[in-house]
Amino acid sequence: MAEFLLEAKNVSVTFGSGSTKVEAVKNCSLTLRSGEPIGIVGESGSGKSTLARVLAGLQVPTEGEIYFNGEPVYKGSKSYTGEARRQVQMVFQDPYGSLNPQLTGLNAVAEAVRIHDKTNKEESENRALKLLRRMGIAELDAIKKPRQLSGGQRQRVSVARALSANPTVLLADEPTSAIDQSAQAQLLNLFRGLLDDGLSIVLVSHDLGVIRYLTKRVYVMKDGVFVESGITEEIFNDPREEYTKLLLASIPGELGVAARRKLNKI
Amino acid sequence: MSTPNKPLIQIKDVVIGIPHKRRPTLIIVDKANFDINYGEMVGIVGESGSGKTMICRTMIGTLERRGGKIMSGEVIFEGQNLAKANDATWKSLRGKSIGYVPQSALAGPNPVLIIEAQLAEALRNTGDTKNIKARSKELLDLVKIRRVDTVMKQYPYQLSGGMRQRVMIACALATSPKLLIADEPTTGLDVTVQSQIMDLLKEIRSTTGTAIVLISHDLALIDEVCDRVVVMHAGATVEVGSVKELEKPRHPYTIALNSSRIDVAKPGSELVTIKGNAPSVGEWNPGCRFAERCSIVQSDCKVGNHPVLIGASGAHQSACIHTELLERI
Repeated sequence: MAEFLLEAKNVSVTFGSGSTKVEAVKNCSLTLRSGEPIGIVGESGSGKSTLARVLAGLQVPTEGEIYFNGEPVYKGSKSYTGEARRQVQMVFQDPYGSLNPQLTGLNAVAEAVRIHDKTNKEESENRALKLLRRMGIAELDAIKKPRQLSGGQRQRVSVARALSANPTVLLADEPTSAIDQSAQAQLLNLFRGLLDDGLSIVLVSHDLGVIRYLTKRVYVMKDGVFVESGITEEIFNDPREEYTKLLLASIPGELGVAARRKLNKI
Repeated sequence: MSTPNKPLIQIKDVVIGIPHKRRPTLIIVDKANFDINYGEMVGIVGESGSGKTMICRTMIGTLERRGGKIMSGEVIFEGQNLAKANDATWKSLRGKSIGYVPQSALAGPNPVLIIEAQLAEALRNTGDTKNIKARSKELLDLVKIRRVDTVMKQYPYQLSGGMRQRVMIACALATSPKLLIADEPTTGLDVTVQSQIMDLLKEIRSTTGTAIVLISHDLALIDEVCDRVVVMHAGATVEVGSVKELEKPRHPYTIALNSSRIDVAKPGSELVTIKGNAPSVGEWNPGCRFAERCSIVQSDCKVGNHPVLIGASGAHQSACIHTELLERI
């Protein structure tokens, strides 16, 4: 076994060339141990989603390498070949856009089960129902199409679909930013349950409240670079970088107040 | 400065429905009640579908264009009942006494107009067509846009989300409105930008004395910037009070909303969630519409009409008929 389940080594991603060249991710290294929840936090345009896509095998890095269980993920134009493919799954930001509007929640999840397990229709639907129930979607709601579900329910269907492959790593790109506060609490409770079951989670978010609640370690990203990283609690209590301080001071409510007080003192 | 503690706009027993040719009218807001005083900053909070945006539209008179209708109740703005106002009346108010900042900053500005033209259009609305350019610059200064001369010549796509929202606020402020309505003005913007926009709104309030209505589902945000809070659930106002008063909520929904807040939760602890989903429009049961999700529900909660706010306007009001049981939560 490799020391890290998922590891990014000196990853850079560049889009375009010449005058339109954009360096979205610059020389970022990141590690994820088995069963660990880590966070990537930053503003829009900081490159956090691009990095998540690299980790998910959807974006070939310009430089650097991703390792899953010690094995390089990208082999030529292919990524996550063989057994590794099912082990890293992703949940996207927009529950409205990431589900097929024509498929019921049940069919969407059952389809994923069929692809990964190569089972028949009945078996896959049974497993899909089980997964959905675990996500708090009753059978009655499972046979509804996405437009009939609330944002929170849709996001839980997306999580069920990602879990259908029995992954060891779940990459979640802003999973809570498009849903209500109470739905957010539901989803986070679910994530916590999944962590207890041994799943590793990479949570990408600009919501520092969510990051603080769920993750143990966090990488703070700005303009494609990790400006600070470490134990979440330590970073929240004692941020070193000016940018992290500013980010913390911007949180509305209790958390921000403490950070603002510190920022003003300095 | 305007007179404090005098209502600028009053929403009284407002019921909003969507009429349908064949089916019966669908009621989407039933009994909304609250006042907004001169120079006050009020937050309206609630889940999606609770009717926040609908109430907002009654205050700017765009309800009918979207197929809605005020079935009963009064919307009193400076002594004038607007519930049945015609287009001409609204035209004289909207974009003049009442300004509006839309939800989606990215789609808000007209994409084919440069910022200068955008602001000029808003300024011409005032009837005073002199010195438009100078006044535009003043407005951009007011919303703290730097490099004003460059920005004036730019198209919306050349600006960041935060800048675009500032431009929208500048447009809304063009006519020095008495009431500014901001419908989730920072949804989709970064936290740092959000805190800048909030600081800006606070500052505008204190320099111009404009009353501001901030619609949001982020309780922490509302707590921080507003004086008073209106809580909505399934089309009804369930609690109204000052931010201080709402630290001790008197409605089970507000209590539940408060405890599902992530910023105060201990990392890794079980988050409190609100049971079930908010009842969909058209599927409302008799009595209190929160009853199905409430932990202290009693048998008399499920009969009759939805309870109205109890208490005098301006005081801490709650629509819960069993506030004596709240300690059990």
